[in-house]
Amino acid sequence: MSTVPRSQLARSSVVGSTAVKIGLGKLKTKAKRPFLSHENSEAADQEQLNSEAELLFKAITQLRGTAVKLAQFLGMETELLPERVRKELAKSYHQVPPLNRVLVGKVIENEFGSRPDKLFKCFDPEAIAAASLGQVHQAELDNGTSVAVKIQYPGIHQTIESDFKLLRKIAPQGINLLPKSTRPTKEVLDNAITEVESRLQEETNYLLEAENTQWFANNLQIDGIQVPCVYENYCSNRVITTELLTGVHIDQWLETKPSQAVRNQAAQRLQSLFRNSIIKHGRIHADPNPGNYLFKPDGRVGLIDFGCIKTFSNQFVEHLPSLLASICNGDIDHTLKTYESIGMVISTDLNSDMRDSLAEFTHWIAHPFMTESFDFKENNTYTNQAHELMQRLNSMPTVEKIQEDLIFFERTSYGLFKIFERLEATVDLRTGWNLPAL
Amino acid sequence: MKISKKVKEQTRIRLLEAAVDVISEKGFEKASMREISRRADVADATIYNYFSTKEKLLYGYCEHVQQQVMDELMSIEDFHEYSLRDQLHQMTETKLTKWLPAREFLTEVFSYTFASPATGNELLSETKNLSKRMFTDLLDASIEAGEIPEQPYQDLLPRLFWDYETAILAYWLKDTSDEFANTTKLLDQSSEIVGQLLIGGVVGKTLDMFSFLFRTHVLQHMNSLENLFADPEIMAAKRKFMGGEA
Repeated sequence: MSTVPRSQLARSSVVGSTAVKIGLGKLKTKAKRPFLSHENSEAADQEQLNSEAELLFKAITQLRGTAVKLAQFLGMETELLPERVRKELAKSYHQVPPLNRVLVGKVIENEFGSRPDKLFKCFDPEAIAAASLGQVHQAELDNGTSVAVKIQYPGIHQTIESDFKLLRKIAPQGINLLPKSTRPTKEVLDNAITEVESRLQEETNYLLEAENTQWFANNLQIDGIQVPCVYENYCSNRVITTELLTGVHIDQWLETKPSQAVRNQAAQRLQSLFRNSIIKHGRIHADPNPGNYLFKPDGRVGLIDFGCIKTFSNQFVEHLPSLLASICNGDIDHTLKTYESIGMVISTDLNSDMRDSLAEFTHWIAHPFMTESFDFKENNTYTNQAHELMQRLNSMPTVEKIQEDLIFFERTSYGLFKIFERLEATVDLRTGWNLPAL
Repeated sequence: MKISKKVKEQTRIRLLEAAVDVISEKGFEKASMREISRRADVADATIYNYFSTKEKLLYGYCEHVQQQVMDELMSIEDFHEYSLRDQLHQMTETKLTKWLPAREFLTEVFSYTFASPATGNELLSETKNLSKRMFTDLLDASIEAGEIPEQPYQDLLPRLFWDYETAILAYWLKDTSDEFANTTKLLDQSSEIVGQLLIGGVVGKTLDMFSFLFRTHVLQHMNSLENLFADPEIMAAKRKFMGGEA
């Protein structure tokens, strides 16, 4: 953990605190509107939402790069956004206009002093995938190695700046589209936008991402999980060249009808990856976007895109197993204590309603750990249940400070569980956590 | 002593590059032929064998850039496989790249040309011709391949493209964004438009439409004016009305 670059820590904290602030903003707005008829306002919101969401988000999707990144960021807080808005944002992943070969050539030439066809033995000018701030091309090194070359949109940092200017103007209207109960205040919104912007600007530093990728390639040794190695000589601030991993995205893979055993195996590997990353290294790939996993026919999985890495504090890593254990034991008082030991601030005067909600929430967390292996096919509504539980918790001033590491932990495991649900896999979640016997 | 063609060409380019340095530093007005020749390590009088005036140096470099653009494009092996839009985009992008080391100098070219458009126009003709040849060659190849339709007003298109490139250069000179990101964006988006206009044959169609409007409407009105003047009764009536007090 000592090898972690400091800027990396700073970077992750940005997202964490944003999430906290958005969460807190929700509480504040709720508290301010006690007299508004709930049903009426919700209905009005929904109507407005339907008529305006499309228009607004069409405008947002015009913003190359920024929109994709923003969509990803907001996608992290899925429970915060209404379904319709989420759908429009999800589309933006696929709507990024590709760079033509002229611009691709320009970037490569600017960075390495020679054109792509001279730098590489061969270089495919057609992109094979869109990435958050750029796109990925397939190429071949002189020694015949196939590589993936991720190229950043030229001038994206400039675009981010001007996009955010625009976003600051349209965001207040966009916020009006949200149901009143989840609408953040102007201050919270401004802060969130500023933080997302600075984080995005940092993400334009591809050298840092290359460094992270290499770190994971060196340190993660999990059977069946592949991390691409980095070709440093072909990396710069704007370009990352890595080994080309084969494999397809989850939907394509599922179309090939992989057997239950192979699906289980793939899911189990992802789970081991997550647990090992935390326990052994205190550092995780914190972007469980399905696009970041490449599945092979035999159930091996390739991990790509190391733009979002989270490093946990020693304190968190140390206490996490005991937190999970006390959650599984169902002892609410002990659980509260453990939460506090990792840095959460929880209201001291909990009434019975609050205790019930909290108990229900911890019960939800414990549920998949309470069996030898959890069947995500049978329990395919598991992750969706979080929505209602979170809303109920948010409506009470129970939690005053959410520990940042916990947000990342929950979010990443939530993302993984979503993937397990899609895989309809049965996964052993218990092993490795030292949980109390069943 | 007879100087070989190659040496001559090298001296010419050395003089042009020296001109870029001196004019960039001092501005066009204050730069002297003597200083340029010294900077190029050429005898004071020799410079006049190559460039009789300072203006010719100014525009000579423009031609040199255009030539470099052509060489660069010819060196891209699969350039002929690019779409026309990408080819034109590459052409303008390369022009910007080639101008980059002499960007201050280009500012001088613009301000001088703005002040004396006639001289500029005359001395730029070689550069324009080369640009026209390059553009026409791409366009012809594209038409032959069936990528775009016949363009009815092909003579006009190279001139429009020249103006377009000039506008991009002018924008670039004023662009204060980091790494000229705004110009990159403008060029990317506008070359898309240029490509679409050519694919649609829009320039030709627009001109067709204008000439159609002109023929059917304007000429019609001309006819009626003619009739008006030719009609003695109305003319008489008008005169009568105007001369009311008589």
